[in-house]
Amino acid sequence: MRIRNSFLKENLTGYLFILPQMLIFLAFLVYPILEGIRLSFYKINYQNETFVGFDNYAALFHDPVFFKALVNTVVFVVFIVLLTVGFALFVASAIFDKNAKYVSFIRGSYYIPVMVSMVVMSMVWSFLLNPANGLISYFAREAGLGTVNLLGNTQTVMPVIIFVTFAGNVGQSIILYIASMIGVSKDLFEAAEVDGASRWQVITKILIPSVQPTTIYITIINIIAVLKIFVVIQLLTGGGPNNGSVTLMYYLYNNAFKYNQLGIASAVGVIMFAITLLLSIPQLKAMLKQK
Amino acid sequence: MKKWSMGITAVTIMALLAGCSGNANNEGSSANGGGNSKGKEKVAINVWLTPQWKGVLDATEQGADYDSFLKYAAKKFTEQYDKYDADIKVEVVAGDQRDQLLNVNLNGGTAPNVFFESTFAMGDYVHRGALEPLTDIIDDNAKSDIAQNYWDMVTFGDDIYFYPFQNNPGTLVYNADMFKAAGLEQYVGGENEIKTWTLAEYEQILEGLKTKLPKDKYSNAYPMALFAVNNQGDTWNLSYLRMFGLDFFDKDGNIVLGENGVKSAAWLKKIYDAKYTNPGAESVSSNDANAMFQNQQLAISFTNPVLFNGIKANMASGTSPKFDIRLANIPSESGDPLTFTYVVGASVFQSKDPKKTEVAKDFVKFFSSDPELVKSSKNGIPVRASVIKELSGENPFFAAYDANSKYIFNFSGNVPGYSQLREALYPELQALYMGAKTPEQAIKDYVASGNKVIQSNKENSVIYKK
Repeated sequence: MRIRNSFLKENLTGYLFILPQMLIFLAFLVYPILEGIRLSFYKINYQNETFVGFDNYAALFHDPVFFKALVNTVVFVVFIVLLTVGFALFVASAIFDKNAKYVSFIRGSYYIPVMVSMVVMSMVWSFLLNPANGLISYFAREAGLGTVNLLGNTQTVMPVIIFVTFAGNVGQSIILYIASMIGVSKDLFEAAEVDGASRWQVITKILIPSVQPTTIYITIINIIAVLKIFVVIQLLTGGGPNNGSVTLMYYLYNNAFKYNQLGIASAVGVIMFAITLLLSIPQLKAMLKQK
Repeated sequence: MKKWSMGITAVTIMALLAGCSGNANNEGSSANGGGNSKGKEKVAINVWLTPQWKGVLDATEQGADYDSFLKYAAKKFTEQYDKYDADIKVEVVAGDQRDQLLNVNLNGGTAPNVFFESTFAMGDYVHRGALEPLTDIIDDNAKSDIAQNYWDMVTFGDDIYFYPFQNNPGTLVYNADMFKAAGLEQYVGGENEIKTWTLAEYEQILEGLKTKLPKDKYSNAYPMALFAVNNQGDTWNLSYLRMFGLDFFDKDGNIVLGENGVKSAAWLKKIYDAKYTNPGAESVSSNDANAMFQNQQLAISFTNPVLFNGIKANMASGTSPKFDIRLANIPSESGDPLTFTYVVGASVFQSKDPKKTEVAKDFVKFFSSDPELVKSSKNGIPVRASVIKELSGENPFFAAYDANSKYIFNFSGNVPGYSQLREALYPELQALYMGAKTPEQAIKDYVASGNKVIQSNKENSVIYKK
């Protein structure tokens, strides 16, 4: 009894401090997740809810648009995350040890698109890419290239969206990498210099291994962000052409808010949640092991 | 102790202030209600609308906004209403957020009591059992003043669910200056006419605009608007699919688009490939097309009275170039004009409180039939013959639209799941324009996926379950 009392005395303050956060976490994150899982087993209309077991999941796996959305989402995740991590690593390792003002300038330049709303970015790109009256199409016509319709071609629509999303996101990763690289012990670089290591060797043998936790973190947050890709799709392509750029989040939105198929939309949400968990757990494990 | 007493004093003062301001608010709302609220039970209802027109009668009024009409109607209603002390709150919601807001509020039990909107967009809520029938508030006077085809569009099963107020007929709009510049004077209609061309004439017009339009004056311009990036403006696309015949839905509400639909799709593909339209139709929106028409990059586009007046207002204010715009019907193989209309009117959402439903129905009946208020329907095209007769001198197009009305077809068929059905069309049109599907395949796939949507929504439709 005394042990329990002393344990409580010792930890009560700490638990009280995290209590408000825990309550918010339970009410706004855990409960919606559980409710979403429950709804995925129901057919819901305005008047009633009917338990349908796995019917919503079965309907999804019979819908070719769902598979298209799944494949497109995986393609987006793989390419955008690889591009973001690769490019951010390249820029950060090229400039982290340069003059502070120069580093600030580069950091600021890449960060500006992150501060601009994705809605605004998408509208600007929409203006540039519009096949009938967009700027890129206009210059292409003037140059004798005929009509350029990058968003209306299933071969080009995905690379365009990958580029637009990558351009809007990469600033965040560059900032994180630069901060992490500046924190790497100077002794390691000096030792490498004494040993006559080349810049490439310094980057690959010292810098990249030293910032591995940052790489894992950037990879996880980008995977989660890209899985939820929506605004660009909604504003640039509407999932088109011919469902060529539809993603899981866009498919979920359509079912939830346009078709009022809450059960189907919840099932998509559960599948997305499972994918995110599966992708994140190994990386989280690696991160925790390192710590 | 001192701190405690100060705290209690502060709380007491705040409570008193809150109490005073609460009273002040109540007094304010009673005054708003016209001062005849003594002894009557207070019933509050929410009225939502999507942007339709600004002002009570027109946009030139001081402080004119989208909610002006319904706010004025609410004030007039509460002043004369003797059953309850009605408190009516009017809120404008964006058209593209309508379904999202309604679905969230319906699931949360906070749906509005009245919604004023184009009725085709609200049909799904009838099938879902969320709306109250309004049959009991429609009297013989209204039935005789409003033509039967409008009633047909708002009738689901045996009941009327929307009180028609005005309508927005869809037509084509063309740049008469571009026609003249291309030597197509003989096809230009009168200023107040809705011109009807045959399909053969229309093809000659497109050819003339493509080949004879002076490039120095109209560089980067195309004959006709074509768009399929999303569901916006899809009613025009649905009309084009009826160019070779009106058979679209059967009596059971299934899509039966067959050979005529294939011919129509083939025609669309033909004019697209012949470069009679803007390029990239698969990724151009109706908004893009409208902007291009205003910039004289398109000679023929789509319109309705609201858009048409908007273009004229932009020209008058100098925000877009001035040119001669006129109206035309969508042509068809038979030679009859193809015309559809968006009936705009009010619906009443079901409520657990029967008093709210009663007030909502009384309010809808009041502003949809009050002789002064129904004149505001002139901002679109009035559905009431009496209003058209009274105001035809004010708007010469009223007569032209009235003459067209016998050709109106019900584009939605009032089928369940119409908003979901809309999502099935544009991917097929995209595939058609990109050459990924033949006209036969695109129509076949649209019919299959569309009927699947209708079938699954029929299973939940309270109208079909009856």
